[in-house]
Amino acid sequence: MSVIVIAVATESGVPIFTRKRGNNENIQFSTIASLHGINMFSKCHNLSVINTHLENGSILWKEYFKSVTLIGIVTGGLECDLEHLLSNINDAMVFCVGKKELENLKNIDQIKRDLRQCYPILDYLLESLDPNTLPRMTLVLDLIQSFLCSQSQQLQQVLDNYAEKVTGRWACLSIHGHLVATSSDFSELDPREARLLLLAAAQDGAPLRDTLVYLPYMSPDVAFRAVTCKLLADVYVLVVCGATPALSQIDEIVLQCWEGYAQIIKEAKLIHPRNFPLSITFEPCVLGIFIVNITLRRFVFSRHLQLSNQKTRGMSGFHRMDILRTFYVTSARDLAPELNIREILEKDIDNESSIGKMCETYWCSEYHKCHAQRSGNLLCCVLYAPNIPTHTMRLLTSQMLQEFHSNKDIHW
Amino acid sequence: MNKMNKVQYESPSDSDNNWTDSSDDSKYSDSESSVPEWDSDIGEDGELVFIKVKHINESNDINTPLLENCETFKLRSDFKRASTRRSTKGKIFKVLKNRKAKFDNRNDNNKENESNTTDNTKKTTIDDNNKIVIIQVSKNMIFNSEKNCQIEKLFGISLETHTDGKTLIVANFLIEAKAIYVPRVKVGYHLLKINGIEVNSCNINSVLQRVIEDIESPKLTFQVVTDGFNIDPLKLFSLNHVPLENSLTQLLKESMCSVLYICCNDIEYQSNDDKGVLYCYPRPYNQNYLYNTRGAYVTLNHLTPKSLGTSEPVTSSVLYNNTLINIVYAPHFNDLLLLAVPNKNLDLFSAKKIIRDIVRILEFLYGSLKACFTKPNNVDKLDGLFARFFVTLLFNKNNVSMSKQDSKVRSMLLEDILAAHTVTLPLEVKIQVDDAITELEAADYREWTDDVENFQRLYTVIGACLYYSGHLLSSHLCDDDLVEINAYLKFNGILRLSIEKELEKLVMWKEVFIKEHRNQTNNDKNENRIPDGRWFILTVGKGHFLLATLMEAGGCTEDAVGVTSPSPFYVEECESCLELLYEVGLHKYLASWFSSNTLPQLETSPEFLTKYGRKMRDNMALKADTLKVSSLKLSKSQPDLKRPPSTDNPINNYHSTSHHSLYNQWYNSSQKNYRHSSNLDISYSEDSNSLKSNSEVSEERVTGRRADREQRSRRDSSGSDSDWDRQDGSRVSGNIDMTDIRKSLLNELNHVTVHRITAGEENVLFHFLQLESEKGVLIAPMKSIEMQANNILYSFIIRTFRSACKKIHDLLQYSIKFKKNHAPSNPLNKILVAVREYGMLFEAPQDVLNQCGISKKNTEPFLFWVVGRVFSEAEPRELYLCYHESVPQDLTEVAHLLSYLE
Repeated sequence: MSVIVIAVATESGVPIFTRKRGNNENIQFSTIASLHGINMFSKCHNLSVINTHLENGSILWKEYFKSVTLIGIVTGGLECDLEHLLSNINDAMVFCVGKKELENLKNIDQIKRDLRQCYPILDYLLESLDPNTLPRMTLVLDLIQSFLCSQSQQLQQVLDNYAEKVTGRWACLSIHGHLVATSSDFSELDPREARLLLLAAAQDGAPLRDTLVYLPYMSPDVAFRAVTCKLLADVYVLVVCGATPALSQIDEIVLQCWEGYAQIIKEAKLIHPRNFPLSITFEPCVLGIFIVNITLRRFVFSRHLQLSNQKTRGMSGFHRMDILRTFYVTSARDLAPELNIREILEKDIDNESSIGKMCETYWCSEYHKCHAQRSGNLLCCVLYAPNIPTHTMRLLTSQMLQEFHSNKDIHW
Repeated sequence: MNKMNKVQYESPSDSDNNWTDSSDDSKYSDSESSVPEWDSDIGEDGELVFIKVKHINESNDINTPLLENCETFKLRSDFKRASTRRSTKGKIFKVLKNRKAKFDNRNDNNKENESNTTDNTKKTTIDDNNKIVIIQVSKNMIFNSEKNCQIEKLFGISLETHTDGKTLIVANFLIEAKAIYVPRVKVGYHLLKINGIEVNSCNINSVLQRVIEDIESPKLTFQVVTDGFNIDPLKLFSLNHVPLENSLTQLLKESMCSVLYICCNDIEYQSNDDKGVLYCYPRPYNQNYLYNTRGAYVTLNHLTPKSLGTSEPVTSSVLYNNTLINIVYAPHFNDLLLLAVPNKNLDLFSAKKIIRDIVRILEFLYGSLKACFTKPNNVDKLDGLFARFFVTLLFNKNNVSMSKQDSKVRSMLLEDILAAHTVTLPLEVKIQVDDAITELEAADYREWTDDVENFQRLYTVIGACLYYSGHLLSSHLCDDDLVEINAYLKFNGILRLSIEKELEKLVMWKEVFIKEHRNQTNNDKNENRIPDGRWFILTVGKGHFLLATLMEAGGCTEDAVGVTSPSPFYVEECESCLELLYEVGLHKYLASWFSSNTLPQLETSPEFLTKYGRKMRDNMALKADTLKVSSLKLSKSQPDLKRPPSTDNPINNYHSTSHHSLYNQWYNSSQKNYRHSSNLDISYSEDSNSLKSNSEVSEERVTGRRADREQRSRRDSSGSDSDWDRQDGSRVSGNIDMTDIRKSLLNELNHVTVHRITAGEENVLFHFLQLESEKGVLIAPMKSIEMQANNILYSFIIRTFRSACKKIHDLLQYSIKFKKNHAPSNPLNKILVAVREYGMLFEAPQDVLNQCGISKKNTEPFLFWVVGRVFSEAEPRELYLCYHESVPQDLTEVAHLLSYLE
């Protein structure tokens, strides 16, 4: 498998950056030029090349702000997500340098240098197309990784309080890279922005640091200040605020606000890696679960569902994650058409009204079965043992969905 | 109809030269000539396309062949030829002798017969396009024009210029003016004249000036333009000879379909002015967007394997004039064949499948892609081929005159794209069909000559395949050949022609290059290598039957040297094979079989599976109670209608005693009410039913035989001294018996049992599709089922099924590819490789349900599954099933049941 993403200045053809992952060689400048040339040449003839499918991969051209062209090449991976990847990468670029800079491209060398700081984020994003590795931060490209704990309501109050004290607006708490709790108006942010903030917070660096960020959808031209503070190991609190207060002041505010809640955070931390409150139990035949809150664009994944510490049979946990992710990306995502971002292609292909609305889907293989069902804004993908009959899967999944809707310990 | 009456098939005759002539071609009709009527159509290269269509009233034409009315059957069953094969006796020698001589004669009457295929078609095309609408606009009216445009002010219409730069086209109406024009004038009509003066974009202003000065109210003359023009498939076949019609080229240009062949090795064609482009259609080159942007695709084709280390490109999607177009690549060594079709006509899935078919056809017809595009003087033929190909893609019967609303309707159905659509026939019928083809293949000519020793055959029949109304009935070809022949028939529009029209006579002859020969290297000294011969495909059609025969010259038969035109003897052989099937009554049988919906039975009224629908049905049943008696009678009087299931069905019993004990009740549920496709509700009690039907059967058989005997006696008395009767009496009589038996067998088979392959008390099966991609065949319900059902909800389900199948098919290919090739060069996603079954549950939208009479009050959602599974034992087999959600199904079990039906 290999993924390559190339950014080129559309008009001048100057390469801005190349990121790659997988077993491919470094890409030559001449290749970049040819790929870009294909796009430019066909444009002269009023024809725009959208994508090209290879036998086991695809190439996608995408132009942003009429100034930057992103070219993505993926083989042997989850190529169907290439479009998601490019749009995410574009968001990340805006996140780092702002839309204006990208539109004007006045000083390309400066921009190249500025963009270097978002390479770690880009690499996180590339990971998610690779089926052979366990992505550290991004299991799927269109959703925010999170987990469900009963403490999140309590933590929300603390976050609100903290945001108010630093005169910030949006704050959230991340544990192991999962979004655990948010301040009450955090949902104002576009989920894609929220995800970039989480990715930025997870980067290594000083325990307390601030970075300038442009929110690609809320304020692509005016930068905000994102302040990340490490509370415990793998626990970060993040707040988006203005120029004041200074970092040293924030240090004190953090101490004030969070000192009393270390115990609660520690309790919440124990939820990981099961990622579900203890009050929710699962049948032993359920090997993994991937549940999506469609409106919030958040998902919870778990492969350690059984409470007893028995050794899990057969399949490695990593493999389970991989199966569920692949299942979601290739098939189950169709259950939530609102998650689909392909605008151009979709218009010409079957208009959705002419075919039925999908409400369940499943896969069977010799080693496992997957089933996905949607109920309201929850989409539940479950990995089952191969010996479970299809109708039993349906029954179990809908029971689980009911539980998720009604359980009082669940706060998204 | 008249013509058909005139057609006379005399009883096997005294003369050697009894061709089956139609009387209106009088010059061939008498016995002196041994020249067949298609003889003059043979091209210089020996190829032949001869098509004659029966002219039935337009109204009849709308009926699909599957639902033909009985009258046509009667007429056709008047054909009387007990043994068609005998008529050619002795002629083979003549043919051999005459071949050379005839070939020279041919060119004389070439012109005369050319019109045969064309003349009757022209009328229809002109009709619509020359209609004229005249509108008088009152001088007093002044319209508000925002653009302050003179035309808008005066007439309330806005115009635009046609792509030709001159013609004025109505682009829009102002709101106030709509009342004047609509509905007589439509957007897209051409403005021809104003006050009788012809206008175009050059003189419009001066003409308008005159209108303003004139006191009279202006008169506008519009030309009616039926979007595009009527394309007659027949006409397209004659394109072999005539240069391409401009309007068709224009239409194809506008439809943005295109094909291009580029030789990327510059040295090879340095003299080529077009920079390596060996073929491009539609032309002119500089107006073809594919030609203009070819650099992009050639670069990609080079770049991907060499610089990116990936596989070669398969498809590219581009946006041109706001149309999404899929471009598919077919590389051939250094060369590249490109095909571009708009996504609305052909989606990516189909485009990928179809390019393979095109390559197959071209290789089949020319040996290799290179040979195809470098063969001298081949451009006209290729133009014709691609014109037919694109027309097949773009238009179907329902939207021949491509109107804008219909253009969404894809003309290629999933079934057509994937493989040859095969029909499961009852064993007895299958035997009949196979028997007839085998007889042809055996080419046992001892019946025609005593001089066996000194006579060498011209061709060996390698195999043949028989189609009825576009569905494959039987194939005796090896898989590779069938796939190629099927593609050839499909994309040349021949299959469609046989569906839409009733053929009086179709004869096509073409040299081909079979795959086995293409792939055989010269230094292969294998004992079993095929001879270095030549191969020909002979396609013969009659009615809705098509018989394609693959023949080999060389090896044990005579070598074909030089230009080889079809041999009348073999054409007649094939024709008589079809005759034989007619004689048996297969055409009648198939017509009813195709509409019978029995093997297995589909539920074509899906709304009856809901709670409310059940109530609805019960109510209807109560109301219909009084009608029941009469409907029963009706079914008796029509032998074509299928019979209720008999209880002694061996297949069913077999199952119920073996592994299907679970479903005993539904296998033996013949007391249940079976709803027929004809919507007659008939309830049967077990005992009376079997009794009744038995008695009917025997009675009918008697009448059938009696009628037959009477026929024969009539025939005998009329043509008393026919030589076959005397000469080979013994053999012949045996043969007569055979046909007699055949006939009665088919009669009997009208009483088919209804089969179900899904579990549960009610039939929940809506549709299925079983694909054997290696063999190139698939089994699915007849295409006419959907139309027969005439049910919005059912059509909706089928549409969803087809679109879901594409997605499932794509996913299952991973597993198939992996099984085929354990260490593929391109590593496959190991998770997708493991998926054997993929299911999707769909919900029918409320408005569709409402239209079916299921009101909002009863909102229990209507759910149905589309499930696909791949079975990889021996050869990969994919099964797709569409069924109501109420009863869970096991696809493995369904696949087993289905295989027992075959």
